[in-house]
Amino acid sequence: MLARHAESLFWAGRHIERAESTARLLDVTYHTHLEAMAGSETASWHDLLKILHVDLAFSESERILKADVVSEFLVFDPSNPGTIRSNVTQARENLRAVRELISTEMWEAVNAFHLRLSARDLSDDVRGEPHELYAMVRTQCQALAGVASETMPRDECWNFLSLGWMLERSVMTLRLLLVRYSQLVSAGATGGFHHWVSTLKSASGSEAFRRRYRASMDPADVVAFLLMARDFPRSVLFGLQAAEKALSWIDGTSSPNTRPQRLLGRLRADVEFLDVRELLSGDLSVYLDMVEHDIRQVAESIETTYFRSTDETALHVLDPTMVWR
Amino acid sequence: MRFDIRYRLAFEYRNVVRHSQNELRACPLTDDHQMLLSYRVASSPMARVHGFTDYWGTRVDAYGIREPHVAVEIVAESAVETRQRPLTVASPSMAQLADPEFTDIHAEFLAPTRHTERGERTVACAAEIRARGEIDVVSLVLDIHRRVHRSVTYESGSTDIGVTPDDVLRGGRGVCQDYAHLAVALCRELGVPARYVSGYFFAADDATGAAVVGDSAEVQTHAWFEAAIPGAGWLALDPTNALAVGERHVAIGRGRDYDDVPPIRGVYAGAAAATLDAGVEMRLLSTASSSPDQPLPLHQQVQQQQ
Amino acid sequence: MEGLFTDYDTGGFFDEAHDDDGSARSHYQALIAQVGGFPPAELDRREKLRDEAFRTAGITFTVYGETEGVERTFPMDLVPRLIPADEWKTVEAGLAQRVTVLNRFLDDLYNGERAAVRDGIVPWWLIASSDGFCREAAGIPVPHGARCLVAGVDIVRDGNGDYCVLEDNLRNPSGISYVLENRQAMTRVLPKVFANHRVRPVDHYGLSLLHALQSVAPPSASDDPTVVVLTPGVFNSAYFEHAFLARQMGVELVEGRDLVVDDHTVAMRTTQGMKRVDVIYRRIDDDFLDPVVFRPDSTLGVPGLMAAARAQTVTIANAVGNGVADDKAVYAYVPDLIRYYTGEEPILPNIETYLLWEPEQRAHVLDRLDQLVIKPVAEAGGYGVVIGPKATDAELAECRAQIEADPRNYIAQEVVQLSRHPTLVDDHMEGRHIDLRPFVLCGDKVEVIPGGLTRVALTKGSLIVNSSQGGGSKDTWVLAPEDA
Repeated sequence: MLARHAESLFWAGRHIERAESTARLLDVTYHTHLEAMAGSETASWHDLLKILHVDLAFSESERILKADVVSEFLVFDPSNPGTIRSNVTQARENLRAVRELISTEMWEAVNAFHLRLSARDLSDDVRGEPHELYAMVRTQCQALAGVASETMPRDECWNFLSLGWMLERSVMTLRLLLVRYSQLVSAGATGGFHHWVSTLKSASGSEAFRRRYRASMDPADVVAFLLMARDFPRSVLFGLQAAEKALSWIDGTSSPNTRPQRLLGRLRADVEFLDVRELLSGDLSVYLDMVEHDIRQVAESIETTYFRSTDETALHVLDPTMVWR
Repeated sequence: MRFDIRYRLAFEYRNVVRHSQNELRACPLTDDHQMLLSYRVASSPMARVHGFTDYWGTRVDAYGIREPHVAVEIVAESAVETRQRPLTVASPSMAQLADPEFTDIHAEFLAPTRHTERGERTVACAAEIRARGEIDVVSLVLDIHRRVHRSVTYESGSTDIGVTPDDVLRGGRGVCQDYAHLAVALCRELGVPARYVSGYFFAADDATGAAVVGDSAEVQTHAWFEAAIPGAGWLALDPTNALAVGERHVAIGRGRDYDDVPPIRGVYAGAAAATLDAGVEMRLLSTASSSPDQPLPLHQQVQQQQ
Repeated sequence: MEGLFTDYDTGGFFDEAHDDDGSARSHYQALIAQVGGFPPAELDRREKLRDEAFRTAGITFTVYGETEGVERTFPMDLVPRLIPADEWKTVEAGLAQRVTVLNRFLDDLYNGERAAVRDGIVPWWLIASSDGFCREAAGIPVPHGARCLVAGVDIVRDGNGDYCVLEDNLRNPSGISYVLENRQAMTRVLPKVFANHRVRPVDHYGLSLLHALQSVAPPSASDDPTVVVLTPGVFNSAYFEHAFLARQMGVELVEGRDLVVDDHTVAMRTTQGMKRVDVIYRRIDDDFLDPVVFRPDSTLGVPGLMAAARAQTVTIANAVGNGVADDKAVYAYVPDLIRYYTGEEPILPNIETYLLWEPEQRAHVLDRLDQLVIKPVAEAGGYGVVIGPKATDAELAECRAQIEADPRNYIAQEVVQLSRHPTLVDDHMEGRHIDLRPFVLCGDKVEVIPGGLTRVALTKGSLIVNSSQGGGSKDTWVLAPEDA
């Protein structure tokens, strides 16, 4: 398929996933405070910005670290390129560029989502009762996943879409873990029950976790669950495995393996065969940092391997006056 | 006369350029007055050149470079023999310019173009020439030729590609392209079909003005014009040098204006501004010419003249 | 007459479905009997079906704004236009004759000795001053001389019902997607009516187009040449058709940035590396194709494409420079060109046309300005057309001034009383003016697609059928011969 189309699908997946993660994280952070169960409010809003990698952009904009300000910044603020709104818009733009390759249902779903979001007064939502907005975004993103899964053939299109989607998911869960864990360590706390519940909720994983571990709230279990549960669709490992599957479909039986395949394979194996207790005896954040770095490497190598040539810079015209004399 | 001509264009970019596509027009043409003996073009980084003859009969070398580069050098080397041109003896009357067959054939060389737009000043200048009441076309064209030479002072770098004949008349300064465009515009305004010629001019003179064998000269590409004389072909004049075009002129191509025969044209990808070092080295090999009745062209150039 | 056709009035025009005395023409009898009997509620239901069919197929013009795309459908009237087999046979032969000659003329101009000019059939100045004459295309050969690979020739029927050619579209004629989609919709909306007629199919168009495109692949291409459709992108108003055609042919729909010229060959960037392209069915105008040769500011094209075409590693279809032959001034010479190249009489005549640069014809036209249609020669889509009988005095005065200032830029034609066709208006039928744009494919052979796009001026009394100016369309049923 055309490199440009593959790139659009890859990014469509990433943007949808990012919109959903942002909504989920906002919802959890908001309600944790509503229930007054967490410690410092400003700290957890700051965490949220860090997870989404926009803490610097936020502080540079000299905004106040308050619930509604951060929420606005993450939902629709035009100065933030990573808002829910802009992620949905970009997902739609990317899918429009491949309109001919995706199912009509998929296109209609993303278009309807975009229209619904555009029709809302987001500022009102954020200041009023934001849960409904976040729930809508999550539902719509999950609906997109469902529509894609039910209507798209498992061809190259599907696999590039899925590749971006799953890699982004791994990154988001990883950053959730990284920031929550660091915060815990820096606060010198042992990790209160609510802290880990909200972390799991942020990954839509509290129910699944409870079913497996019952009453346990051992940090090691939480870390193991979010990092390497094979059967939990939001674990880092699950995302990596799904991405690896997509990549191997894309490359067919080509040998030797491509660079993205090698990088991703090594990373997946490393995460898959971790010893969490051993990890926790050391500095978990160092390890998480490394995994994040590796995922970014994978994404970069995908860019250069499959889309490389689409980033050609603008054309210039030779200045004819140079031979005018 | 025989010349060796080496036209070199060296581009330097401020940054890496990944892709460039260009067209070079540097090859002398073959016609009744000159004959191309050899030609080759090479680029560094290397590129396969696709050579073809364009609509106007000019040889074009198209080439693209797709490897990252920061500089390109193009060298076009030719050997050419030129001939003395016979004096124009015809003196067709002005009325013959209006002959429908004549205007139909020369339609392309009568209409204004981007570089030969006829503004107020150009029209006024043409009116003054007309008022002198020349009765034959050759005298009229020679009038235009002299008038252009007098009206413009040569000054390298004084004009840019967008200037109109009116601008040149107003400023009174210009380069060879400006002389040629102004002359072409005046001819057309007065109903004489005229075309723009791009070429090389051997300008190395000793004190007597003679060309000496073995001399070589560092020059630039040159431009002049030709006017259609009813019943007598094209009269070629070089208003920059106030000369009739002769053995020291080597034509590359002819067109309606500069845009039809630019020496180089192209685009490149990369965030980089380019500088160009361009130069022509002409060496006079011999002042002899084969006699006019010897067989002429080595290869048949497509004559596009209608 | 019964039902929907009660009180149907031909209004003194040539009516496709009715004789002058108001009785149904024989090939329309079945249709009128069937459709005429629908109760209004039934029609309403079928109209909804049609809209549903279009919506599902996504047949829309999309006007993309800053925030949201506004999607409009191209309205299709439910009453199909019927063309009997023998009539079509003549039209088909006339189209094939005309397009074959236009191809020869173009090849003669760009890659031949310009015999038609040399022999005085067309004046040289007319060619030389035509905006469509593209000197950059000179000397680039096209296999089989198939410069108009897809041609759309607009034809109309005059007051006597005679077919004649209104204009040629040889650059990027659009509309074929509506022909195919209209047919699809009609088989769903009026299945019984459709089944009752022996209608010649059109759904092979994608295959025929692909075959024609592959047949003009350069000699160096493989046995299975790679074809792509080159579009300006999603923001182009005809993007739907570009995508539609790529899908019908099963080939890639590319934009300029997907293509690269390397060593005078064209390749597209794919996830598996560069893939050589042999034939480009481009839906981008000449001016934007290659910034080296044409507009340097064009970002839609491919730098180096023209040199590659010249090196004969790729074929551009339709060929560059076809605009010179669909210039409305050159149009006037097409009958002479047909006689010149083939020695035959034109099967389909032109509309009586006056050349405004000829002083006598100009004087005649300026005398009768209010009775004629004045057209700028280089415009398409009905823009700039002045219809004398409908123009105000001010419009006529302006038109007169324009003609006097630049006579080369205008032609004048007699007003043609376009034929009318029964068209559904609310709950009954009324006559509306129609034309026809058939499509002709020329690769290694000439193929005329049965029927074409019948455009209908939905506004009462209007003669303008263009989609951009309130036109609709009809499915066009060419009936199979009785013995076939």
